[in-house]
Amino acid sequence: MDNLSYLKSVLDAHPELQYEIVKRFWSTDFLRFYHSQTNYNISKDNTQLSVNIYKGKKSFNFLVDNADREKIDAALQGALDIIDKLPEDPDFVNLESDTTLAKPRTVKNNIEAIPLSLKTRILANVSAAASMYNFDIFGTFVCNYQKYRLVNSNGLDKSSATSPIYLEIKAVHNASQITVLETFGGEDFEYFDDQDFTERLVQKIKYCANPVIDVEPGHYDVILAPRCLAEFVQYLAYGMSARALDQHSSFFEGKVGEKVFPESISITDDPSDPEMIHQDYGSDGHIYRLLPLIEQGVFRAFFTNNYFAHKTGQPKNGNTASCMKIAPGEKSLDELIGGVKKGLYISSLHYMNFINPRETSLTGLTRDGTFLIEDGAITKVVNNLRFTERIERILNNVAALENRCYTIPFSGNYENFDVETVKAPHAYVREFNVSSSTHTI
Amino acid sequence: MEQLIKQTLSKLALPGIAFADVRVSRTDTEGIYFQNGFMRGYGSSMDSTAIGIRVLINGCWGFAGSQDFTEASLDRLIKTAVENARQGSNFTKGKVSFPALNPIQASHHHKPEIDPFAMPKEEKTAYLAELATALKPAGKIVHSMVSAQFMKQEKYYANSEGTFSHTSYYNTLPVMEVVAAEGSQIMSRTWPGHMSAGRGGFELLHRQKFPENTGRIIKEATDLLSAPVIEEERADIIIANGHLALQLHESVGHATEADRIFGMEISYAGKTFIKPEMLGTFQYGSPIVNIYSDSTDPQGLGFHPVDDEGVPGKRVDIIKEGILVNQQTSRQIAELLGLEPSSNMKASYADDFPLVRMTNFCLAPGKGSLDELIADTEHGYLLDFTKTWSIDDNRNNFQFTTEIGYRIEGGKITGIVKEPTYFGITKDFWNACDRICGPEEWGYHSTFHCGKGEPGQIMQLSHGVAPARFKNINVSVKI
Repeated sequence: MDNLSYLKSVLDAHPELQYEIVKRFWSTDFLRFYHSQTNYNISKDNTQLSVNIYKGKKSFNFLVDNADREKIDAALQGALDIIDKLPEDPDFVNLESDTTLAKPRTVKNNIEAIPLSLKTRILANVSAAASMYNFDIFGTFVCNYQKYRLVNSNGLDKSSATSPIYLEIKAVHNASQITVLETFGGEDFEYFDDQDFTERLVQKIKYCANPVIDVEPGHYDVILAPRCLAEFVQYLAYGMSARALDQHSSFFEGKVGEKVFPESISITDDPSDPEMIHQDYGSDGHIYRLLPLIEQGVFRAFFTNNYFAHKTGQPKNGNTASCMKIAPGEKSLDELIGGVKKGLYISSLHYMNFINPRETSLTGLTRDGTFLIEDGAITKVVNNLRFTERIERILNNVAALENRCYTIPFSGNYENFDVETVKAPHAYVREFNVSSSTHTI
Repeated sequence: MEQLIKQTLSKLALPGIAFADVRVSRTDTEGIYFQNGFMRGYGSSMDSTAIGIRVLINGCWGFAGSQDFTEASLDRLIKTAVENARQGSNFTKGKVSFPALNPIQASHHHKPEIDPFAMPKEEKTAYLAELATALKPAGKIVHSMVSAQFMKQEKYYANSEGTFSHTSYYNTLPVMEVVAAEGSQIMSRTWPGHMSAGRGGFELLHRQKFPENTGRIIKEATDLLSAPVIEEERADIIIANGHLALQLHESVGHATEADRIFGMEISYAGKTFIKPEMLGTFQYGSPIVNIYSDSTDPQGLGFHPVDDEGVPGKRVDIIKEGILVNQQTSRQIAELLGLEPSSNMKASYADDFPLVRMTNFCLAPGKGSLDELIADTEHGYLLDFTKTWSIDDNRNNFQFTTEIGYRIEGGKITGIVKEPTYFGITKDFWNACDRICGPEEWGYHSTFHCGKGEPGQIMQLSHGVAPARFKNINVSVKI
């Protein structure tokens, strides 16, 4: 009997308790590189049991790393000793009861499928192309393999596996430090085209031959790269959570069914796109299904887990904003850039933080390639800029969207290196508020 | 455990391995969380053990970490670390090297006044429940939170030079917050701010005077809803400790981590505007600004007798009389810069590889009390308690919003302002520092949550600060 089954059998003997047990295995092969050479090769794994125990409205949770029977028994005894003495949470009603199982799928372990020798070969090729322009490459090439099983006292027993790939290459000019970025993310390495990847990076490198300038604070028409639009939408999604609604910090409070953005804006949370990282279940084990969030500018739904669905009265869906897709528009990238008389192309964002989440106001910076657009063409490199904006205003100022989307990987880089993907097009945004320059590249 | 580590290290005495180290950590954590007056979570993780093995082969690092201590797993880790270094060395230009250090045997075991893990759980929850009840939403207060996290960590370090270290310590992070809302406005007040952690146990909750400050944060959060904003373009600002710790952290601490000079953290944390040639000449701040890294002070979370690659704890001046004189370094990077290693290599847990990290990173005190500094200010603002923070990836352009600002007129506080927001360029800002309060106002402000590295690590560290005044700062950001 494995540890999870053992713990379940012990808890099943306590009919007065409700419980949820999650077993997670996570492993990574993580290549960090700088100046076109290895910095560290890191292999790491861990197995963790996470247990929530409820007695009426009282609860206690514990984690057991690398569990054995002795550790489990000690942790469980500690929980049973204290649970009667704890205060109640009046808002707890029940554990998740959705027993729907995801469609079975085969998950390839990309740690095995993409060995270090292949990684270094790919990097050496990209490095060779960048070096022609006096650029070195820096970044990470990561493969994870993770498994998850959740059981609870309402009869859920769900298992899932994923194997994300995350490749992030920054090319940095050896003299000027001008930086550009290209990424790949997903679960299927068949979608990785090394020649196309390198060509896209080199195209950005070529833009860096232009002179570097500072621009004055003010309002600019900007082309946001897909990564930027995706990141703004990720921040916006904070306010789409029932947790934020409960804390009265959501921009979307009282706005379900209301038109909040232009008709061109549609956003879904879609776990089934083959180019993205798959998601079978939400955090409570609820099946993860396609969820429309913004339809032609109209706000449709909050993300809800079991607890906050009960607490806020919003429909339960189990989604976690882990697979967001922003619908494309009708113009090519050339047409978008060609339509800008004087403005900026912004490649990537850095260190954003909300000032007032209820208003979606925040500040942050550009990085990894900010360019001046003059008369419809990229003409200069611009020092990184600070913006102070409201995401709601940015989306309301979207004048056009590109007619194709790109899969952008993001790392949830606290503790385990988890990866999720967002699909987004380029966006033409009017009147973007640049509040200061960093005077550095 | 010592025997297991030494046995593992002995298996690394292989031809081609120029340097090896083995680390083990054993960690207990506990967290209690109340929201809106009710307990929402009580969690614990006890006896979480981890091991990490690092080797240097052909001038390239390889690392493997796990929580599995079986013999088969340890043999697998050794093999993986070696293979990682060998494969990595096929994609290198220069080779990592550094001078040997004399072996050190170190031991340090900290005991808190009140061991939170020995204390009855119901006693801890009762203390926090009383605070949570006092902060229950009412009037314009729409949300409140009270939480405490406790951590005990035991660490072993051994390397192929013969160094062995065994340490243990307790850290605690308590905080409470209220949120007031009206229309689209949302104002929060925390106590004692976001850098409220400290070395010690439950006694920290008593020292930080939580019950005495519940009424204050409720009133201030509510009053902020109707408070004015700063109208002028520029102003003199006094930054109090609840925020100055983060100003120091972001604009000097991270900027002087020398791995950033070489681009080792470029893909996530970023770079730095500092270049090696600036050392010894760059006027980082005004002549009263003295900043140092000190891993020798056991009062701070950054204390260690030996860092996570065998360098003894040190106090190192980083900025002396305003001039940049040193960096926070690893052995590899110190060699590249021609410096002595500063004892700043730290890993959060043993299955994390070590990174250049702040330890106890401090602004040295000047003279006088905060009251005297306010009295010396004709017109300005006292800013405290971080609300929003952001800095560019070269650590040059920052913008902060604090929870509250206190307007100063004629040397006296005359009212409050909401969402005070200022921005600046690092060098200009620290050169605008004209007063730093004295030792009587100086103290450690610590965090559990400094993120860096890929895979990500969250470090616990401290900042020693005293309130300081900065002249003619841009406070014109309008949201």
